[in-house]
Amino acid sequence: MLITSLLSFSQEKFTISGTISDEKNNETLIGVNLYIPEIKAGITTNEYGFYSISIPKGNYTLQITYLGYETVEETISLEKTIKRNFELNETGEQLDEVIISEKTSTNTRRPEMSVNKLSIGTIKKIPVVLGEVDVLKALLTLPGVTNAGEGQSGFNVRGGGADQNLILLDEATIFNSSHVFGFFSVFNPDAIKDLKLYKGGIPSRYGGRVSSVLEIYQKDGNSNNFSINGGIGLVSSRLLAEGPIVKDKGSFLFAGRGSYAHLFLKLANNPNSAYFYDLNTKLNYKLNTNNNLFLSGYFGRDVFSLNNSFKNTYGNATLNLRWNHLFSDKLFSNLSMIYSDYYYGLDLDLIGFTWESGIKNYNIKYDFKNYITDKVKLNYGINGIYYDFNPGTINPSNTTSGINYRQLEKKYAFEPSIYIDAEQKVSKSLSLSYGLRYSMFYRLGSSTVNLYENNEPVIFNQELQIYEKATPIDTKYFGRNKVIESFNNLEPRMAAAYQLDENQSIKASYNRMTQYLQLISNTASPTPLDIWTPSDSYIKPQILDQVALGYFKNFYDDKYSLEIETFYKKIKNRIDYIDGADLIANEAIEQIILNGEMRAYGLEVLLRKNTGKLSGWIAYTLSRSEQRTPGRNTTETGINNGQWYRSGYDKLHNLSITSSYEFNKEWTFGANFVLQTGQPVTFPNGQYVYQGITIPSYGLRNEDKLPTYHHLDISATYVPKSVKKKTWQGEWVFSIYNLYGRKNAASISFRQNETTGSNEAIRLSIFGIVPGISYNFKF
Amino acid sequence: MKIYKFTLVFLFTILLSGCEDVINVDLNTAAPKLVIDASIQWRKGTLGNEQKVKLTTTTGFYDTVIPTVSGAVVFITNSDNTTFSFIETPNTGEYFCTDFIPEINETYVLTVVLNGQTYHATETLKSVSELTTITQNDEGGFTGTEIEIKSFFNDPGDADNYYLFQFKSSHAAIPVFDVFEDKFIQGNESFGLYINEDIASGDNLDITVYGISKRYFDYMRKIITVAGGSSGGPFSTPPATVRGNIINSTNSNNFALGYFNLSETDFRNYVIQ
Repeated sequence: MLITSLLSFSQEKFTISGTISDEKNNETLIGVNLYIPEIKAGITTNEYGFYSISIPKGNYTLQITYLGYETVEETISLEKTIKRNFELNETGEQLDEVIISEKTSTNTRRPEMSVNKLSIGTIKKIPVVLGEVDVLKALLTLPGVTNAGEGQSGFNVRGGGADQNLILLDEATIFNSSHVFGFFSVFNPDAIKDLKLYKGGIPSRYGGRVSSVLEIYQKDGNSNNFSINGGIGLVSSRLLAEGPIVKDKGSFLFAGRGSYAHLFLKLANNPNSAYFYDLNTKLNYKLNTNNNLFLSGYFGRDVFSLNNSFKNTYGNATLNLRWNHLFSDKLFSNLSMIYSDYYYGLDLDLIGFTWESGIKNYNIKYDFKNYITDKVKLNYGINGIYYDFNPGTINPSNTTSGINYRQLEKKYAFEPSIYIDAEQKVSKSLSLSYGLRYSMFYRLGSSTVNLYENNEPVIFNQELQIYEKATPIDTKYFGRNKVIESFNNLEPRMAAAYQLDENQSIKASYNRMTQYLQLISNTASPTPLDIWTPSDSYIKPQILDQVALGYFKNFYDDKYSLEIETFYKKIKNRIDYIDGADLIANEAIEQIILNGEMRAYGLEVLLRKNTGKLSGWIAYTLSRSEQRTPGRNTTETGINNGQWYRSGYDKLHNLSITSSYEFNKEWTFGANFVLQTGQPVTFPNGQYVYQGITIPSYGLRNEDKLPTYHHLDISATYVPKSVKKKTWQGEWVFSIYNLYGRKNAASISFRQNETTGSNEAIRLSIFGIVPGISYNFKF
Repeated sequence: MKIYKFTLVFLFTILLSGCEDVINVDLNTAAPKLVIDASIQWRKGTLGNEQKVKLTTTTGFYDTVIPTVSGAVVFITNSDNTTFSFIETPNTGEYFCTDFIPEINETYVLTVVLNGQTYHATETLKSVSELTTITQNDEGGFTGTEIEIKSFFNDPGDADNYYLFQFKSSHAAIPVFDVFEDKFIQGNESFGLYINEDIASGDNLDITVYGISKRYFDYMRKIITVAGGSSGGPFSTPPATVRGNIINSTNSNNFALGYFNLSETDFRNYVIQ
């Protein structure tokens, strides 16, 4: 109603639309701000670099600002609908090394909040372990983002689980974002253009996970010239080739990254290997001004092989074909057909068996962006995802093996959804964004479903006061594509920004989200073999409600910006596991799961210095993350006596300081400091002896914590003066991770010494002082 | 399938094992709880009339002395209501019986009376397959440098069986336990596996296999995990006190730890070649 009335009041308007790209390689730029001071209105480019704004006829100034690029200011006289493409010039050094400035200033105008963007240039400046540039590690410098510690996979956003993050690489879902457990991320920094992390106020076009959305965009490829860049590091080497297919019409990009065969020296003197590799490809072709085609793909694997007795392979693969079509200057559309899978394979000759498991999904998505007026923009679309889960296939690995072939029952599901949202500038100071997503989920056959007495797959043993697996009383067979269970949820989203003055605003947001997939894992950090399972008759979808309130300010001519946000979130149906649950190769996972709840709340502060020789940011988060699984009735104890307990990723304090100092044209220095509360753990409160072995006894869950975690890292980047531009350009990056050699505990375990028989506590610390060096080049 | 998870933890540690050190941690100590260690074992070829039950309590994690419990009344009854009494060797917490009658698939009830509290537990005596051959591989384990002992047996195909293996080497202070079920090996020849890099030629290895109930399998699986010291690690699950099958009929909140188990066992002694 609001929209129609706005439309009917509108006077004669014309549309200016087009694409904004990098002058050098024609790479489209995402999130470029285009601002028109005369009407105090603006727009940002979408994921494909497209913008469109409809305004009354007249003379206007267009101000185009973008991180690390020179600002363009142009006056236009708008008398008819026009197309106008812009090409921006980089301000910084070559090799994408831009001065740290996420944006020239924080956007106080738009209702978008709880969102962090990082350019690949910034990410490359942050000192990391062994000099291996890591997209996910860079996220950890942002407020509200932590992980379980060094060498651990995944990340936690605002106290949520790693399984609650939707990770999209060119729109395709990545199920495991880490190589070598969590030492490195699967994203090759050279192939990546941009990334954006939504922690709250998540727009309705995203769904399926409750904590966050991480959007990672791959580069399109240089459509002007053929070029090659790469790097040689201590862990891996990279090579990327890009160039035009047909000049200014189409381009390609191929990138490969591979680690060395013996990643860790300990393994080097044996017929053993441990390595990973990634391949990224992107092709794009401009059919005409209104139609663009994109094909993007990713393939990555980790391989461990030990002494021919053990071989482990796992990784993601994605393929996405996209068609951008402009129905009009105001109506942009994109159709995507996406395939992605995660594979885990293990060959354990020692025991004589092989194991394979994984998840495949087929996704079709049609999204529209309708730029109605300068004040109203509509996004709407439909989406359907079909999932095929393989919980495990077991085969004997040799003829003498005592193992029998077994296929654990495959699971299938379909997740369709529709959404609409509007961004609306209500008045000079108030902007709103509001939307709705309707998500559905069908758990499909074929499947044989267990039936239980009172519909309870977990029973409570009153005498022993423990939860136990129930024995099925019957089974029910569902044929292929028969609906076993279905769910549907309305997910409202809204956000508002109120500008107090030119430089400061307050924002508020609310979002509800539903997650129909569950990661079967009861460890603090996910492992490569963790298995995803769809919601069904016994495992309910997780439903999140989150509110956030924020204050945003730019000061000293936008040199500094401050973002303060507070959030509260609650998640229904967070699964928890009964004590001693066995998750691996468990065919009746419902027998060890109870549905609980989760809550997290906190305060985040981000202070940034955007420009100057010294730039960087300080991020501090004060937060709590807890979960609870009460008994289903008064006679049951629930898990942990039904009390709230700290989740494995609760970090009360989290401080991160990231800085960069440009000393001169040749030398840039970086420093990074992290300090956070230790991970919650459960220490024993006693011991006893049973059958000749010592067994620790425990009290309530996660009452203790590991020692405070902190480290300081530094880096120096040296760019030798090149004699001639446009030829070989090189760059050296030197780094030291954990400068003062802090022995951070990754774990403390309690056990009986095998030789002496006495009890001891063992600290496992992963990195000491780690120096790194890498060389990057481009020609 | 335990080995599967073990593999992950193992990999993680070999990649990083240079960085482990023993530290001192300040720990709280909870009020002591009664621990009943009642494992009735009927070794093949013996009468099985001599049995032992041990009563102790929990104590501080770093304490070197485990307190024993004296003065309890301990007995087991079978389904014919025959009572087998266990008499304490004074001040040892060890209670012995000399006239126990073991019977496969017979159900027994353990009763312990202590300080006005009565504890009960019910279990069935399970049979076990015979241990057959033992093989040794000196280039075993994941690294190819460890000694690997496989102790074979034939799983009966007509029932779901659960196994507990105990390996006690003359080299180590404590025995190593492993449990498994026949889910993936139903009716086949299979083996218990012991891997150690420290044992050497001439060392003794005592191998015992127990036939166990599903409940005891679940119990021992949890015990092995908790005792293995994986708390607070990247792949650790939240550790919890493991409850056995012992019920305090006087006051269910004042529960006892430990387990009442009855197994037929088979035993082999193996000298490392």
